[in-house]
Amino acid sequence: MQSNAALEYDYSLAKKFTFLTILFGFLGMLVGTIIAAQMAFPELNYLLGEYGTFSRLRPIHTNTVVFGFTVSGIFATWFYLGQRVLKVSIAESKFLMVLGNIQFWLYFVGALAATVSLLLGYSTSKEYAQYEWPFDIVVVLIWVLWGVSIMGLIGIRREKALYISVWYYLACFLGVAMLYLFNNMEIPTYFVSGGLGDPLHSVSMYAGTNDALVQWWYGHNAVAFGFTVPIVGMIYYFLPKESGQAIYSYKLSLLSFWGLMFVYLWAGSHHLLWSTVPDWMQTMGSAFSVVLILPSWGSAINMLLTMKGEWNQLTDNPLIKFMVLASTFYMLSTIEGPIQAVKSVNAIAHFTDWIPGHVHDGVLGWVVFMIMAAIFHMVPRMFKREIYSKKLMEAQFWLQTTAVVLYFTSMWIAGITQGMMWRAVDEYGNLMYSFIDTVTVLHPYYAIRALSGVLYLTGFIMFAYNIIKTMTSGRELTEEPQFRTPMA
Amino acid sequence: MNSLMIKALGFAVLLIVATIFVVMKLNIDIFADSVNALTMGGAIAIAVITSAVSVKYINQMKTDTASGQLSDDNWDGIGEYENELPSGWAYTFLAVFMWSMWYGFFGYPINAYSQIGEYNEAVLAYNAKFEETHKNADAATLKEMGESIFLVQCQQCHGATGDGLSGRAQDFTTHRSKAEVLSIINNGQNALAAFPGGMPAGMASGADAEAIAAYVAAGFKGDQPATFATCASCHGANGEGTPMVGPSINGYDIHNTLAKGKKGKIGKMPAFNTLITPVQEKALTAYVQSLAN
Amino acid sequence: MFHWLEKNPFFFASAISIVISFAGLIEILPNFAKAGRPLVDMTPRTVLQLAGKNVYMKDNCMACHSQMIRPFKSETDRYGKYSLSGEYAYDRPFLWGSKRTGPDLHRIGNYRTTDWHEEHMKDPAKIVPGSIMPAYTHQFTNIADIETAYAEAVTVKNVFHTPYGPGIKSGKAAWEAYKPTVLAEAKKIAADMKDERVKSAMAEGKVPEVVALIAYLNSLK
Ligand code: HEC
Ligand code: HEC
Ligand code: HEC
Ligand code: HEM
Ligand code: HEM
Ligand SMILES: [Ca+2]
Ligand SMILES: [Ca+2]
Ligand SMILES: [Cu+2]
Repeated sequence: MQSNAALEYDYSLAKKFTFLTILFGFLGMLVGTIIAAQMAFPELNYLLGEYGTFSRLRPIHTNTVVFGFTVSGIFATWFYLGQRVLKVSIAESKFLMVLGNIQFWLYFVGALAATVSLLLGYSTSKEYAQYEWPFDIVVVLIWVLWGVSIMGLIGIRREKALYISVWYYLACFLGVAMLYLFNNMEIPTYFVSGGLGDPLHSVSMYAGTNDALVQWWYGHNAVAFGFTVPIVGMIYYFLPKESGQAIYSYKLSLLSFWGLMFVYLWAGSHHLLWSTVPDWMQTMGSAFSVVLILPSWGSAINMLLTMKGEWNQLTDNPLIKFMVLASTFYMLSTIEGPIQAVKSVNAIAHFTDWIPGHVHDGVLGWVVFMIMAAIFHMVPRMFKREIYSKKLMEAQFWLQTTAVVLYFTSMWIAGITQGMMWRAVDEYGNLMYSFIDTVTVLHPYYAIRALSGVLYLTGFIMFAYNIIKTMTSGRELTEEPQFRTPMA
Repeated sequence: MNSLMIKALGFAVLLIVATIFVVMKLNIDIFADSVNALTMGGAIAIAVITSAVSVKYINQMKTDTASGQLSDDNWDGIGEYENELPSGWAYTFLAVFMWSMWYGFFGYPINAYSQIGEYNEAVLAYNAKFEETHKNADAATLKEMGESIFLVQCQQCHGATGDGLSGRAQDFTTHRSKAEVLSIINNGQNALAAFPGGMPAGMASGADAEAIAAYVAAGFKGDQPATFATCASCHGANGEGTPMVGPSINGYDIHNTLAKGKKGKIGKMPAFNTLITPVQEKALTAYVQSLAN
Repeated sequence: MFHWLEKNPFFFASAISIVISFAGLIEILPNFAKAGRPLVDMTPRTVLQLAGKNVYMKDNCMACHSQMIRPFKSETDRYGKYSLSGEYAYDRPFLWGSKRTGPDLHRIGNYRTTDWHEEHMKDPAKIVPGSIMPAYTHQFTNIADIETAYAEAVTVKNVFHTPYGPGIKSGKAAWEAYKPTVLAEAKKIAADMKDERVKSAMAEGKVPEVVALIAYLNSLK
């Protein structure tokens, strides 16, 4: 085993983005909990005038968790593990340090400004691409900065071969760059109309069905290259690193990676099944979604097999628990998605709560668990301190696991029920339920989901507290732990 | 089977049973509709396969030990085995991939599926059959059918009981009041879009008008005043309406209201010509007319 | 072969780019021209309706409402004829939505009316007991941005050749000349409404958001 004692890595950027991950995670999930509560108790819509309605807040939730929390998490982990697996300190290049700091501040200020713009009602309405054009430009700038920084670091690396995690971060960078650019082509109306109206307003470059195709080619793959690819990159580093186990199979890593790259992009039209998109495209989307189970499960299985024989680590290291459960939730959402992409199943699932159910077993069980585990692993090493409390971590784990299970089971039942009620006919063949019947019947499930939000958010606060305590008052470490993270 | 597997499958079964229970309680037939059946099958597949496969691998943490040839590479202390692919995974991948190629290049093109084509065939046939089956439905059947259509399409304005939601739309639970009929006789009305010319004012007056209004407001019960003949010229001998000339006033004129809409004193009633079929209209008529009686 | 690739970042990145690009080329491009064709006799939305569409986007109604009637009997019975590609040809962006917390609205103009919307937007639960839709009272006092809607019409006309008539031209003067047309259309909608705030704003030549929104909803047929 090589030692890396000779090399001092520079964690200043990773630390900065770690703070943002926690901040945006808290804000995004707070808003998530609020909107969940609003669906159960609509009176809660009126706490903040027009800015507090469910519909204004929903994009705040999605954008804060996606572009705030998840992307910060990706940056934080990249600036940590990128250096380590490439065996080069980012501080070896002044240029890269300056670039990274510009990226950070542009991102922080841009994210806040963009959130305010959504709150004020500036929105281009495409899901996960709501920001108006000036913010798109900021996003592109940030992304280019990150790209240069990745390439730069790779350029000065000492480790010749790229580690699996780097494959995934590279793919994340390239995929998002391509998708974001094409989907956000929009024309500002102010300039074309000779200075009329609101300078922030724009119209989409594409119309109708075409616009839908571009949007969901983007939307699906934003999930792919935001919630899947970089998170897989994380687990490929943090699980073997924390457990001290070698990756089970290089071949499995290889096939899963290239399989995922090839198949993911074709599946976008499963968001447009039964719409006015041509049948053959829908069929391609459906069929490739089913194929997608395998490259997705390949990575998860590779991770579970890496832990072969390590039952004792699973039971007494909560960090390993987080990652193993994350893998299984990843498996759950990557078979649930493909099944929902089967046309007959989609006829029921689409438009219902089963979709947010699918979304959240992915994001809560997989994305957030993995990012929190990464932070639990990184902070003791970056701050050279022991984790403040293992007990708190255990409690958090069980609390949040309960919350995810409540979330997805309640939405699963709600979605299937509502989808079937919409179709139900009475003995004569006329519709059996009015629309409002299908809304009121969901109240208990919405209430359960709101409760699950409160539990999950509480868990996240416990996490944030534990991390901050670790940074400030964890027992100091004299040398970096090789594998298992020390915890009090 | 070990206890973890039993717990996981138990959870999967519980979730499925709960889902089926909730759906069945809402009188939904899961098996009659193939889409429902396939969805339930899909749900079962998700729950069972995920539980079984993930627990299979998690169990290996207990029972197996890591082994294999380590490769030369090492990154930040992370090594890599050169193990072969897990065969179950590899064969499934191969099979699914071949299926998708076959389906994309042969299965699908040969079937030449068209979702709109399927809709047009299936639904048009279904609707024709529906109209045929219920063409001569009896009054009780129509009324029952009408109630459920009313609850789906009309209650948003007329209220679940047909009371018009405190004056926001026509109240069907009573007949038109005498005062209202009198006012129509005195002032005329031009609200139903099916009759662009409207009804002229002053077709009757004084005691005649009073008598007619009382008779109409009572739902055409009792003796018909002789002077109703004036009205009958447009509205038919028993107020049942005459096409193109006058609407039904024996109850509410469902037909013309649904066909073209009405913009009256209360507000605007949209036309429902795209959503209501002839049999459904008959059913709605039976139901709405029954409300006041 | 793969080990080689993993040691050459440039080729590695190129390989990823190639593998992820061609799905988009094959799936999206071939249909572009065809899906862009409008139905015959279809006219683009009026400026007031566009302003209403912008209110719909601002208050993000597609968080809960779809505009896509799928070809199922259960949907065509509830909402009317299934949606056709050509109907959306002028929609920038498309507003199909992905969640139906509330009903589909693609043909809402066929079976709801101005006065109903007025009451419903003010307090949905009063009209439909059990509704979880928020009340949008601020739309009765906020003034719709009809100038931006006009700028949008000019933009799509100039850039995408959307068939707006000769009256829609760039520049302040053209807008001033066109404005009365928009106000006249708004007056017709407002005439069916009862709210005092709406009436007084209209009297001052201002169009409350709810009026534009209803113009848009009524145009969904
Ligand atoms: C010249 C033909 C004509 C005569 C005569 C006539 N009506 Fe009418 N009536 C109409 C028309 C046409 C309408 C529909 C008006 C509209 O468009 O709202 C109507 C509407 C009505 C309505 C309202 C129905 C609804 O669904 O809103 C009532 C009640 C009514 N008439 C009663 C009478 C009575 C009572 C008399 C005799 C005194 C009478 N009408 C004589 C033509 C006539
Ligand atoms: C968008 C609201 C709305 C919906 C939906 C609606 N109505 Fe109405 N309806 C009205 C209003 C408002 C009136 C009162 C018009 C007036 O007289 O001012 C009315 C009046 C009527 C009348 C009275 C016509 C007359 O003779 O006076 C009938 C009949 C009627 N509706 C039937 C129906 C049926 C059947 C349905 C469902 C298929 C339905 N309505 C759905 C709003 C609605
Ligand atoms: C929190 C979810 C939610 C939001 C946000 C929302 N709605 Fe709704 N909407 C509903 C529900 C639930 C219903 C069905 C019950 C009812 O009619 O109120 C509904 C019904 C409607 C209807 C009647 C449809 C019909 O067929 O009866 C219209 C029109 C409507 N909404 C328009 C809007 C507009 C415009 C906005 C945005 C400004 C909006 N809604 C925002 C949930 C929502
Ligand atoms: C094999 C992989 C996957 C496939 C094939 C898949 C498939 C699907 C399908 C069919 C839908 C529903 C579309 C609809 O009817 O509206 C969907 C929605 C969604 N999925 Fe997945 N899914 C996969 C994995 C994931 C993962 C791992 C995540 C997140 C971690 C995720 C996040 C989402 C999100 C956010 C949506 C909602 C999109 C919207 O706004 O409508 N998916 N997915
Ligand atoms: C406390 C935890 C959370 C709660 C209570 C919560 C709640 C919600 C609610 C109520 C919705 C709207 C669903 C609807 O319209 O029916 C939603 C949507 C969504 N949330 Fe969350 N959320 C949480 C955390 C997260 C996290 C951490 C992420 C991502 C990392 C996330 C990603 C999303 C996405 C992508 C959607 C849109 C789904 C779609 O459009 O189909 N959420 N969430
Ligand atoms: Ca944008
Ligand atoms: Ca969505
Ligand atoms: Cu997708």
